[in-house]
Amino acid sequence: MGTKRFLTRTVEVVALVLLCLLIFGPMLGLVIWSVALRWYWPNLLPQEIGADYWRQALGLEKSLAVGAVSITGSLQTSLVLALLVVAVVMLLSTPVGYVLAKYRIPFKGAILLLFLMPQAFPQQPVFVNLLLVFTKMGLAGTFQGVLLVHLMVCLVFAVWISTAAFKAVPSELEEAARSLGAGGLRTFFRITLPLAMPGLLASAVFVFLTSLDEFTGTFFIGLPFVATLPMLLYSSSGFNLQFASVIAIVLLIPSILFMVIIERFLKAEYIGGIGV
Amino acid sequence: MSSVAVGEPAERAPGRKRRGGREVFLPFLLLLPAVGLMLALYAYPFISSIYRSFLVKGQGALTLSNYVKVSELYLRDIFFSLEIAFLSTAVAAVLSILMATYLRLGSGRVVRLIGSVYRLPIFIPFVVVAQMMTTFLAPHGLLNVSLAQIGLVNLDTPPDLLNWKGLTFAFVWKQWAFMTLIVLSGFEMIDNTYIEAARSFGAKLHQVILRILVPMSRASLSVALILAFTSTVGTFTLPYMLIGGKTPTTLTVDIAHRVTYFGDYGVANALGTIAYILVVFTAVYYLRYTVRREVYEQ
Repeated sequence: MGTKRFLTRTVEVVALVLLCLLIFGPMLGLVIWSVALRWYWPNLLPQEIGADYWRQALGLEKSLAVGAVSITGSLQTSLVLALLVVAVVMLLSTPVGYVLAKYRIPFKGAILLLFLMPQAFPQQPVFVNLLLVFTKMGLAGTFQGVLLVHLMVCLVFAVWISTAAFKAVPSELEEAARSLGAGGLRTFFRITLPLAMPGLLASAVFVFLTSLDEFTGTFFIGLPFVATLPMLLYSSSGFNLQFASVIAIVLLIPSILFMVIIERFLKAEYIGGIGV
Repeated sequence: MSSVAVGEPAERAPGRKRRGGREVFLPFLLLLPAVGLMLALYAYPFISSIYRSFLVKGQGALTLSNYVKVSELYLRDIFFSLEIAFLSTAVAAVLSILMATYLRLGSGRVVRLIGSVYRLPIFIPFVVVAQMMTTFLAPHGLLNVSLAQIGLVNLDTPPDLLNWKGLTFAFVWKQWAFMTLIVLSGFEMIDNTYIEAARSFGAKLHQVILRILVPMSRASLSVALILAFTSTVGTFTLPYMLIGGKTPTTLTVDIAHRVTYFGDYGVANALGTIAYILVVFTAVYYLRYTVRREVYEQ
């Protein structure tokens, strides 16, 4: 019995070490590359390291070297875009979430379907055909065009998360407020909205990250004129490993930070759809 | 659900007229902007992608010639997409069941630690995963160089991983964690007494997994499988950055090439429609399951 338990323990430890190597290995490579000034095989680690690429990327140091990239412009584009997307999407999705959670309406199935389809079918063909439409309207390659695509991508998640947030508000409280004479608007703003607020904030953070990480829609609608961070990462990934790694880490930090905080408000199904 | 009582506040509130005109129109007014946006920016291009797959530039009539071209040029890639999707979903499913079992049945500090660490890949967007894997799996990337240290790889002739192997590895790496999260939420709804009863009758671990945990959480397991499969078929970022235009490559890469190199929307849409067809069964199951769940919860 003793040897058997020892064996199980050993297997467990080996499996865990392997697991950690597999999860952290690729991430570690990213970190090493972002500070590698000289790294030739067969060395396991770089021969020379330094923060040079970080300083150039963050615009702290101007470099005339070929391929030197500053991420500050793209970072600004990405942040402005993401904040705008959050503002518009929250305005649009909050009423939808409320209605879907609290009202019995005709055509409900069809409306639910409209907001579920993008999760159930590949989205790339949709972006391709939006490109056709946007080209005719002069929106292709513009900030406004990319904004519209991000709105569509993010709205889906925001609607689902805010529906869940409003469903979690006990209807007894709303009924109590109304039976005490509060009107519909007053009940909504004094009772329903404050109670749904944590879920709505989680939705806002989720929308922010989805916009920040969005790739496929921006690729078709935005290139080559709208350079968000993921686009800049893509364009430097082929020839400029260090800069690409720096950008990847810049994108990684807010994702991990915020998602760990808001995760408990979210269903696993929605988290899985981020950054596609 | 207690929210059953909420439907139509107008009927519930005492002293109010039943179904005032405003109360009927208000919900639709609230829905209008978001639904309008989705119809214009999602539903229209979705339908148009199917319709345009039957159109050829300069020709008025509907035609199948885009599909003929697809069958001549891209049949191999269609099967490649399917193979990658089935393989990585299957591997990720097995790993996620094992992981969820470990987290469900185990206890203690190590289990809790693992329970928070394994989720990390869920939060990492595909574009970052792609960049990570390009450097990690490169011929002289971190993986091969590390394996060379213990003599498993000869760096003069490193194995090429930037093909189906690397792509499957990357998809499994990303999907497995997220599938574990869904599967585990299913496992956690199973009462301990079932597991203890089976154990006390001498059930082995694999019997507990195959006879109790998996069958009793079939719904969440199928949602995990469906979402992973659909997302693998439809993901453009990862294959585009990892293997790009190599042969064979995925449908999604072909669609991008058709659009950006040839401006050929007909064939691109035919490929897109085929991508819809590849996921149609899983999509319909998922949509029915979710719509029903939402409607019944009311």
